[in-house]
Amino acid sequence: MACSSDDKRLIHKYLDEEVTLLEKKQLESHITKCPECEEQLQELRKTVAIIQSASHMKAPDDFTDNVMSRLPKQPRSTRWKVWMKKHPYLITAATFFLVFIVSLQSIWNEGNKEIVVKGDGQFIVDKERGVVVIPEGETISGDLVVRNGNIEVEGEVHGDITVINGEWYLASLGQVTGEINEINQMLEWLWYHAKEFFNDVVSIVDNNNGENNDKSE
Amino acid sequence: MNAGGYIEMDAVVKKIINEVKRGDQQAFAELVELYKDKVYQVAYRMLGNVHEAQDIAQEAFLRAYTNLESFDMNRKFSTWLFRIATNLAIDRIRKKKPDFHLEDQVAGTEDLTYYSQFASDEELPEDKVVKLEMQEWVQNEIMMLPPKYRSAIVLKYMEDLSLKEISNILNLPVATVKTRIHRGREALRKRLRDS
Repeated sequence: MACSSDDKRLIHKYLDEEVTLLEKKQLESHITKCPECEEQLQELRKTVAIIQSASHMKAPDDFTDNVMSRLPKQPRSTRWKVWMKKHPYLITAATFFLVFIVSLQSIWNEGNKEIVVKGDGQFIVDKERGVVVIPEGETISGDLVVRNGNIEVEGEVHGDITVINGEWYLASLGQVTGEINEINQMLEWLWYHAKEFFNDVVSIVDNNNGENNDKSE
Repeated sequence: MNAGGYIEMDAVVKKIINEVKRGDQQAFAELVELYKDKVYQVAYRMLGNVHEAQDIAQEAFLRAYTNLESFDMNRKFSTWLFRIATNLAIDRIRKKKPDFHLEDQVAGTEDLTYYSQFASDEELPEDKVVKLEMQEWVQNEIMMLPPKYRSAIVLKYMEDLSLKEISNILNLPVATVKTRIHRGREALRKRLRDS
């Protein structure tokens, strides 16, 4: 039986899986009568199977690195922007820290002008010399903080003394029951504030815990 | 299942592309990792040479990076990437045409590293040899095809792409792609019969 070009076309259509049910039947009945077409179909199927069996290939190991090293260099500013977008929390923390520093600095600058004393009791402030004097026979109960000046203790202090941006002098008769701290450096001062801040936080947390415990009891 | 997988994959690819467009150059490495094997395979099957395949595949990724702004996000990234790669490979074939036939005869045998590049699980040595000989034969036969049939056959049977995708990659009507596949198939059949 002579094969028409239609039959050849049908074979390829069949391999493309695009034949209708009718065309499929048509081809199948043709093949039973035509060994030439049957052979061609078998050979084509085998060809496709062999090509499909070719293993998938892998790119060399250094492929990605090679591509990345050949990409055009980016300007620094772009890289910085990308970095910022990737690390929003770090930026937030850095901003917070900056605000913290700036606000502390403004407190430092404000307090820099005049001698300031915090504490309860009788003491003399000598503004000309820039000295706070606790006279002989006087007793101060509680903590004392002196900023931008020196302190001379001739009497008694029942508590801590903190000297910011100044020096302390303890007379032979003077007595201090607590600790004496001297803070002259900006960093030390910052550290002192930070410590106080965290002490406050801790005490608040402690208070809260205490309340909770009260409730649970 | 498959359709869902593709959609998910597309979403991942789009996310990476947006990151690269925003200036995150390092994100591009993820795209390279996703497609390097496929692009490399197309280049190798088209050129039949490990060094040229690597060169063309890398060039395809570099072009994709520099032209990423012109990529239409509504289209499939892999189609666009394959298009760049096949165009580069066809250009390379055209340029080396004078000594084309000389190279043809040694394709596959010229480079021993070629063997080591197939991803294969551990097999019995004899099976491996038979398989490698078959691989070599397949690649030789593909290299004998004219480039326009070669690209259609490689994309259809080695990359397992649909006729529609191939038509988008080669920028040809589906009917033309079909004809090329038919002719390529026919040519391979005749050679298989004669061998």
